[in-house]
Amino acid sequence: MGTNRKRLVAAAASMVVAVGVAGCGGDSGSGSGPGDQSSQTVKADVPKGGTVFSLEQSVTQSWDPQRTYTGRDLSNMNRLFSRGLVMFPVGATDPEEGATPIPDLATDTGQANEDATQWSFTLKDGPKWQDGKPITCEDLKYGMSRTFATDVITGGPNYIIGYLDIPQDANGEPAYKGPYTGEGQDLYDKAVTCDGNTITYRFKKPWPDFPLAIASLRSFDPYRQDQDKGAKSQLVPFSDGPYKIDDAGWNADTGGTFIRNDQWDATEDTNRQANPDKFTFTLGVEAEVVIDRLIADQGDDASAISTRNVTPAQFPQITGDVAARAVDFASPFSNYLVPNFNRVTNLQVRQALAAATDRAGYSAALGGDKASKPSQSIVNPSTPGYVANPAYSADGKPDIEKAKQLLEQSGETLPYPIKLTYPIGSDASEKAFAALKASYDQAGFDVTLDGLDPSGPYYDTIQKPGSDSDLIWGGWGADWPSVSTVIPPLFDSRINIVGKSSNGQDYGNYKSDAANAAMDAAAAETDLDKANQMWADLDNLLVQDVAYIPLDVSQFYFLRGSNVENYVNAASTSGYPDLGVISVKDGGK
Amino acid sequence: MTLTASNLESHSDDHFVDAEADAQAGRVDVEGRSPLRLAWARFRKDKLSMAALVVTTIFVLCAISSPILLKLGVLDPYTNHTDLLVPETGFFPRGALGGISIHHPMGVEPQIGRDVLSRLMLGATLSLTIALAASLITVAFGTVAGIIAGFTGGIVDGIIGRIIDLTLAFPATLMLLGLSQVAVDKMKAIGIPNGPNGAFVNGFYIVFVLAVFGWPPVARLIRGQVLTIREREFVDAAILMGASRPRIYFKEILPNLWAPLLVYFTLLMPAYVSAEAALSFLGVGIKNPTPTLGNVLNSAVQFAIGDFFFFFIPAAIIAAIVIAFNLLGDGARDALDPRAGR
Repeated sequence: MGTNRKRLVAAAASMVVAVGVAGCGGDSGSGSGPGDQSSQTVKADVPKGGTVFSLEQSVTQSWDPQRTYTGRDLSNMNRLFSRGLVMFPVGATDPEEGATPIPDLATDTGQANEDATQWSFTLKDGPKWQDGKPITCEDLKYGMSRTFATDVITGGPNYIIGYLDIPQDANGEPAYKGPYTGEGQDLYDKAVTCDGNTITYRFKKPWPDFPLAIASLRSFDPYRQDQDKGAKSQLVPFSDGPYKIDDAGWNADTGGTFIRNDQWDATEDTNRQANPDKFTFTLGVEAEVVIDRLIADQGDDASAISTRNVTPAQFPQITGDVAARAVDFASPFSNYLVPNFNRVTNLQVRQALAAATDRAGYSAALGGDKASKPSQSIVNPSTPGYVANPAYSADGKPDIEKAKQLLEQSGETLPYPIKLTYPIGSDASEKAFAALKASYDQAGFDVTLDGLDPSGPYYDTIQKPGSDSDLIWGGWGADWPSVSTVIPPLFDSRINIVGKSSNGQDYGNYKSDAANAAMDAAAAETDLDKANQMWADLDNLLVQDVAYIPLDVSQFYFLRGSNVENYVNAASTSGYPDLGVISVKDGGK
Repeated sequence: MTLTASNLESHSDDHFVDAEADAQAGRVDVEGRSPLRLAWARFRKDKLSMAALVVTTIFVLCAISSPILLKLGVLDPYTNHTDLLVPETGFFPRGALGGISIHHPMGVEPQIGRDVLSRLMLGATLSLTIALAASLITVAFGTVAGIIAGFTGGIVDGIIGRIIDLTLAFPATLMLLGLSQVAVDKMKAIGIPNGPNGAFVNGFYIVFVLAVFGWPPVARLIRGQVLTIREREFVDAAILMGASRPRIYFKEILPNLWAPLLVYFTLLMPAYVSAEAALSFLGVGIKNPTPTLGNVLNSAVQFAIGDFFFFFIPAAIIAAIVIAFNLLGDGARDALDPRAGR
């Protein structure tokens, strides 16, 4: 489960640092704040040239397609240097359009057999690597094979391991061990075949939304075998897109600069506009400093963007011409609490927790509508199949009286002690958890706030099945627009709870055979409407068990410099600025 | 300021000072005065020191009364008042003055609406308790080490001296950050009570660390003093009469050290109040949502532009506490050791 940890680290950070997990979708249909896409217009023919500066606090974990799992980096990679068979259209402000794959390296969006267990794509003639060699079917096949080397290629999404038709060995792991050892290579060669320019994937179970996964994640992108140095390739981008890293390379702590790739052909890749001449990334800039610099809008900062959220304390400074440079956008991430089923075994106590959760106060403490909105499900509203669960009110106010009654009926001694474990971050998030504590304490709980460092002990602590936390914070975004990338990764005990060492992402140690069976049934359903109904029923089951308590949907509140034009953050880039269309005023002249 | 050359000279002749002070007070009795009373007379003459004493006393009284007021329900540092905030602005307090009203004389916190006065008062209690405990332990430990080193001399002095060097060479802040989780867990394991929201064990950690890294300067100061005292006749007399070591340390030498100790103590208090505030900045110490002066200020600093009053009030109060304690310490030093001058 170590592979998935990074994604969650990032998810936790999304609340305060705005670097989220892989998430596709993300719409603004649910009424984003001022300055959302209505003011975002994309022009096709803008002056080329200039440099876009990206000011960031958090570092890029990986530029390796098979190892990247952070929403911001997945989106940037695809727009700058890592192309896939299909992609989400650039600058698509319509959520529906933004979540519909279009051909990129392939000639179409793929051919599936009847039950979607076999997919074929044909490569275009013409796309080249940065050294001028053509992109071949073998490169595609090699790229995906790297995911199987789970000891070297860590941190990335590993869905393909569960889907690809490769037999398991005695330990229940795939018999193919990746390209470095070559063990089981013949099995992989059978599952993925190249016929000239046509690549065919064979799965052991139906994967109807495979193209969505290709467009959302980068783990299916091609990779050149002769450029592969295993773990050392983590931050060494090798480009097949419009930009490549300059000769100085990428510095893990400070960033780097992407310059134009002269082997990229604009007439062949008509999707990416590739307007600026350069992208310069500056990492490790302190959170408040990023926003202060963007507000000041001086020098190079006038051409700067960031995925740092404006903090609530800075809201009053976003007025006048600064407000015109701000955008507020519903992110594809949702935050929630899970009760620890090993400790809070009494259903009525869990129900009391659910009733006493002050989602309105939590959202307000994070800054209200511009930063957070109370949610009614663990599924983000932008994910197809989302249903607001009627068990949770829209305004997010707690029902203290109901919680008190439930606690009295539960027969437990009061006040009932609760240890709430959460990731420490900003001043705002400290207030948010203090708000939760206040309403729990009113209802008859005695809450101890246990704030831990998300880049340190937080995940180690909550992923221990024997942890003494009673209530645990989590944050999640769908990997591609489907509920199947939300509920099973978080609540399927069979994939999460491995022995006594880890509970994976099932932090609450939730084990339910009924829920597991319902997940299997919903995932196998190829009829989309039926599947969505099955997911909604499953969500009801989880809510009845109080397997989770929804908190809020995070908003992105980004600023940009005054010289940045064609600025869009939309569904197709998980709500992050779309580098495929961005441009600098007058081409930076 | 008010101490002039005449004071310095007059100190060499205590009877003269006595007579002068008595004449001023209109008294005629010729009762002798202890050094403490002399110091107090000098202290009272300094208006600034007296003002600092009054302010300090007020803060200490506030700090003592706030847990009682909290129990009585007069203070309420934890309840959210989102109704006093404006959702459209991102939940900033209503009105221009940070939400100041009759019920909330110092306003409410933005985004959550907790009462600022309650948080500051309870915060003062915790911060001053931590500073007081840490100062007492620092001074006590430093004094014992200093007396032993200074009196014994030789190899013991050398060992204590090297321990002092070693402690001073440690990167204290880094240690504090790195060890906080481990140390707090250990403290819980050996049975230090958690207290409400972990306040006891986390507060104890701060006290412990401040004291561990605070004692060497005290020990050095005391050692220097003891080096001169041990050559005095009354110490020789005690040794000749066969007094035990502890008796010499604590009955003969210690009474001659209280003046520098009192001064050091009063100067240490404000230093520890601000140290607690600084540590809060780094996320070590008392946990959210229990207020201390440090974490209230930590939260307020970000609002210097966004909500000026919420920033200004805690900042001004912490500044006042630190300045008042510093002036008090200064005044005490001047009064107890007038030869030092200004």
